[in-house]
Amino acid sequence: MKFIISSTYLLKQLQVLGGVINSKNTLPILDNFLFELDKDKLTVSASDLETTMSAVLEVESESQGNIAVPARLLLETLKTFPEQPLTFIVENNNTIEINSNHGKYALAYADGAEFPNTIELEEASTTVILGDILATAINKTIFASGNDELRPVMNGVFFQFSTENLTFVATDAHKLVKYQRTDVTADQVAEFIMPKKPLNILKGILEGSESEVKIEYNVSNAKFTFDNTELICRLIDGKYPNYEAVIPKENPNKLTISRSQFYSTVRRVSIFSNKTTHQIRLKIAGAELNISAEDIDYSNKAEERLTCDYQGDDMAIGFNSKFLNEMLSNLNSDNVTLEMSVPSRAGILSPIDGLDEGEHITMLVMPVMIND
Amino acid sequence: MESPLPIRKIIHVDMDAFYASVEQLDFPELRGKALAVGGNEVRGVVSAASYQARAFGVRSAMSGVLAKRLCPELIFVPPRFDRYREISMKIRAIFLEYTDLVEPLSLDEAYLDVTENKKGNPSATLIASQIRERIFQQTGLRCSAGISINKFVAKIASDYNKPNGQKTVEPDEVIPFLEALDIRKFYGVGKVTAQKMYQLGIFTGLDLKKKPIEFLNEHFGKSGSLYYNVVRGIHNSPVKPDRVPKSVGAERTFTENLSSEVFMLERLEHLSVELEQRLRKNKVAGKTITLKIKYSDFSLQTRSKTLDFYISDKSLILDTATELLYQEKLHNSVRLLGISLGNLNTDAPEIPVQTKKSLSVQLKFKF
Repeated sequence: MKFIISSTYLLKQLQVLGGVINSKNTLPILDNFLFELDKDKLTVSASDLETTMSAVLEVESESQGNIAVPARLLLETLKTFPEQPLTFIVENNNTIEINSNHGKYALAYADGAEFPNTIELEEASTTVILGDILATAINKTIFASGNDELRPVMNGVFFQFSTENLTFVATDAHKLVKYQRTDVTADQVAEFIMPKKPLNILKGILEGSESEVKIEYNVSNAKFTFDNTELICRLIDGKYPNYEAVIPKENPNKLTISRSQFYSTVRRVSIFSNKTTHQIRLKIAGAELNISAEDIDYSNKAEERLTCDYQGDDMAIGFNSKFLNEMLSNLNSDNVTLEMSVPSRAGILSPIDGLDEGEHITMLVMPVMIND
Repeated sequence: MESPLPIRKIIHVDMDAFYASVEQLDFPELRGKALAVGGNEVRGVVSAASYQARAFGVRSAMSGVLAKRLCPELIFVPPRFDRYREISMKIRAIFLEYTDLVEPLSLDEAYLDVTENKKGNPSATLIASQIRERIFQQTGLRCSAGISINKFVAKIASDYNKPNGQKTVEPDEVIPFLEALDIRKFYGVGKVTAQKMYQLGIFTGLDLKKKPIEFLNEHFGKSGSLYYNVVRGIHNSPVKPDRVPKSVGAERTFTENLSSEVFMLERLEHLSVELEQRLRKNKVAGKTITLKIKYSDFSLQTRSKTLDFYISDKSLILDTATELLYQEKLHNSVRLLGISLGNLNTDAPEIPVQTKKSLSVQLKFKF
């Protein structure tokens, strides 16, 4: 088995695939990249058993073969090379030799057959979405997902496909984001929960991508295919909470404000908030929004006034400033609305402008009850 | 009865027709008349009835209409709670001369634990007669007392020689006393439970005592073991001096029955305001909101909801109460609505410390 490949091209591909590999593996074989050579096509795969990603690379070769190459060692070596062709030759003594302009390097490899088989998707449905749209959907939602091992379903992003729209939802029970595209649809209704790790990898690759992503899914797995890459992952098993039920329908109190102004004020004031609760208080009366925070333990206190457009009853409501900051920073619009009903119900943050045609974003944040 | 504790001496003092007697005391022209405090001929309920009215069958919590029908010459007077409270405080001061272990049940009723008392008087029976005498001298009002080894027996005993009497159930009389007792007088046995007891062939304490604990648990759930113990003279509930309220509420009987939720919203708003004031006064907040609905046929329904956090704010109370109101269809027109807040933060002793630091709770979606 022998092939020739550009050093930087290989490095770039391996760095993306390397994102799948866990730093600590119970199965030693998972510390390797699987190289499957078939003439001028080299398929490289990485897996953590939950997620398997592979890319097809073009190489110069006449031979065939399957080997597993130590990922860390290979990546470290490749990083040091300037752009140049590298020749990989599999020797008989269970090593693979890399020949560069400078010299040669030998790595011990394992038999490719040891590498876990990729899952075949049976009875899969298919939906096609533009890479950049998928990346945006992940980007807008993933920060709101949870980390609670007791509620694994909330540790992922809920994909809800229908013939009218595609909806992506994430929540950790404190905040919730619903990202909807009515300009992209599926042939049939489908729902599944994607774990975070493969989504983060996809987000990294697909940002700004004009390529189409084919999403295939059945009850247990999903497969994303685009360009030369394929990612298969296991879905999170379970029923996603009925998120629609927690979106308050009647919200008589509506605040409209410049996002950047609101964001910078919340950021500044929150420095003075309690370090564990991060609680800030919004007091709205007339056209004035008063944002304040206090850390009684250290006698720190801050207060700012902003003018806003407000319709509704005067009210005071508490929020965890971390959640507000995350949400406000994740939006791109110039202005946002914050709709509220009572201080114990979720506030709904939505962008007013800067959205694509058919793009809808709803962000919910549960308040902090202030008992004083 | 094997009890590791020394035998306690508990007195239950119960004022005789308290509200009505106060009215008769303050207004001599009402003396000897059939009198009802609260309610009127067309509406409302009787809070208290004088003994002359009770002779006609008028009872507290009876509707004014029914009371008037039973006793046509019944005189209705509006209640004056401030005055009752004033007298109640005088009476309480007398109790406190004897013991600090005073547990007021209401304005006109209290338990006293005189096992150890300030006068060093070993006879609870004598203390009870002294207290009753002092109350009469200082207020001109009569009361009855029950003396025994626990709160339960003392309370039943105070009813024994009412009005203006007292009854001591000595430790060795407790068992026969309870065995002979009508089941309806037992602790926690109301109309419904009594019916159930009857159906199971339980009419007296003795019948109850014959039933094994498993049988009682099966039929009465949690209360089963309570009944089992109580009939054996075991009721270890201490006399708690600063009894904290378990719930705070406000309710209103309407001059006309309401049939539409829309009209009730306005009433709920008033009740929320009133409840908020009471919560402020008591400096408490609660988690469980209960909406009480009394229908025109006097059937009672309660709906409640427990939140994750303590509230005392009228808008939150109203919000939850409204939700409870619309939760289910009303099955009749409504004569009374009430909102109460339970699960108070007085239940948890550690909370007052935290409130200083402005307690805050991050709310969650209800998934």
